[in-house]
Amino acid sequence: MANGTWKIARNRSGAQLPIALLAALAIALILIGKAQNPLFDRARTTVTDWASPVLRIARAPLDGLDRWMGSIGEIFSVYQENLRLKDENARLRQWRNAAVALEDRVKRYQLLLRAVPDPKLSSVMARVIGRSNQPFLQTMILDAGKRQGIKPGQAVIDARGMIGRIFLAGNYTSWVILLTDLNSRIPVNIEPGNTQAIMAGDNSGAPVLDLLSQRVVLKPGAQVVSSGDGGLLPPGLAIGTVVENSTGGYRVALLADPGASDDVNVVDFKLKTEQPPATTANELPATAAGLPPAAPPQPAPVAAPLASAPAPAVKPTPAAPPSPPPAKPSAAAQEPPTSDTGNE
Amino acid sequence: MERAANIMAGRFLSSIVPVAFGILGVLIANFPISILGGLVPPALLVFMPLYFWAMVRPDLMTPFWAFVLGILQDLLSGGPAGVWAASFLAAYFLIDRQRDMLAGLSGIGAVAGFAVAALTACLTAYAIVAVYYWHLPPAAPMLLQLAMTVLFYIPGVVLLGFVHRRLVGPYRSEF
Repeated sequence: MANGTWKIARNRSGAQLPIALLAALAIALILIGKAQNPLFDRARTTVTDWASPVLRIARAPLDGLDRWMGSIGEIFSVYQENLRLKDENARLRQWRNAAVALEDRVKRYQLLLRAVPDPKLSSVMARVIGRSNQPFLQTMILDAGKRQGIKPGQAVIDARGMIGRIFLAGNYTSWVILLTDLNSRIPVNIEPGNTQAIMAGDNSGAPVLDLLSQRVVLKPGAQVVSSGDGGLLPPGLAIGTVVENSTGGYRVALLADPGASDDVNVVDFKLKTEQPPATTANELPATAAGLPPAAPPQPAPVAAPLASAPAPAVKPTPAAPPSPPPAKPSAAAQEPPTSDTGNE
Repeated sequence: MERAANIMAGRFLSSIVPVAFGILGVLIANFPISILGGLVPPALLVFMPLYFWAMVRPDLMTPFWAFVLGILQDLLSGGPAGVWAASFLAAYFLIDRQRDMLAGLSGIGAVAGFAVAALTACLTAYAIVAVYYWHLPPAAPMLLQLAMTVLFYIPGVVLLGFVHRRLVGPYRSEF
């Protein structure tokens, strides 16, 4: 360990000039990265795409060890934890019964109101092949990428709740930014009360709640769900519960544990673009001005066939009549959603 | 003639060892599988060969290689590009200015010297990240990483010293 024994290479010929130049280059890189240059991201996803088979192989034997090491702190509280889980399980059974009854009632109300049910979300299942716990970044790497339909911005959930969002998607792998990460900002709703807030990660285990209204007082234990504002995330994804901060603010105790999740779902959510109602012939400006509606364009005359070529069998399509006023919803559209409970 | 070729090959091999160890450090530290269940951030393994050879063989561990290793660290750690590159250069500047003093340390002092250089790199990274996101990140993960790095340096310097004696050797003009 003694450094005094080392002979130093005294090669100081202008080492500080390269340092200054390279430091300037590094700062330029930081600024370029801030401007969302995709070059570095592409290089990163290429590296993980290339290394994903190695990661999968290396992860298999280390999975058990990883889980065991991660739960070292829980060894001494297994008995207490078991009692707590039994108690929680009994309470959850009661809640499950209540939830089934409420779900049934909601379905009946939907039938009465002929409400359009929420669209079902499709999702892609992916396996976690890597976790990075750097001081300034907390990420996971999944074994699914663009080829599986993964896109940046999609929500990543496990069986308990939301874990994070996709922020980089390669062809076969994708990077997830966790909700606890410094860069994570999610618009959320706090139930009951429908209070809106922004949940911001700060690299601690419980993200901070930035309330949009300062006069709101939250109750610890209130449910935090995604609000869907901005259209990136689906509304209503379970995230966590409100806990009070020692400084008077609020934080979110997350339901999901990214450290223990091996299989996750990437939710494919895209807000349908709102279609304007179809324009009728009477609403056209020419008709409104008392002029006859313009005739639809006639198909171009078929060019004279060559002598050797056979005559084309295509008939010119007749001019389409002007579109009728919007019809009433079809019977299929009016039909209420069928319930699978059989209580109707 | 053959002897000269062997000497040339040996010199080439010795010249790539410091950078190769740096790259190996980046790969190991950023391999996205944690055997500690993510309890602590990984040690900054790349900084050990960087510090060691920037001190004893700056002709082999040049500022350019410090920059390249920093870019690699940025690329594989997932952070913004240039953060660790700038941080390693800041630490390199310190090592370059205090080389005689740092190389003269031994025992606990040598570890303390490394800790000061690693602290310089970490503080620079912290400051850049704080400005980059315009938000002060929590200092605890960075301090934990620093502690892990210094802890790993104690066995690491033994290995690096062994490799230096066997493969790299002192600067030729010192003979």
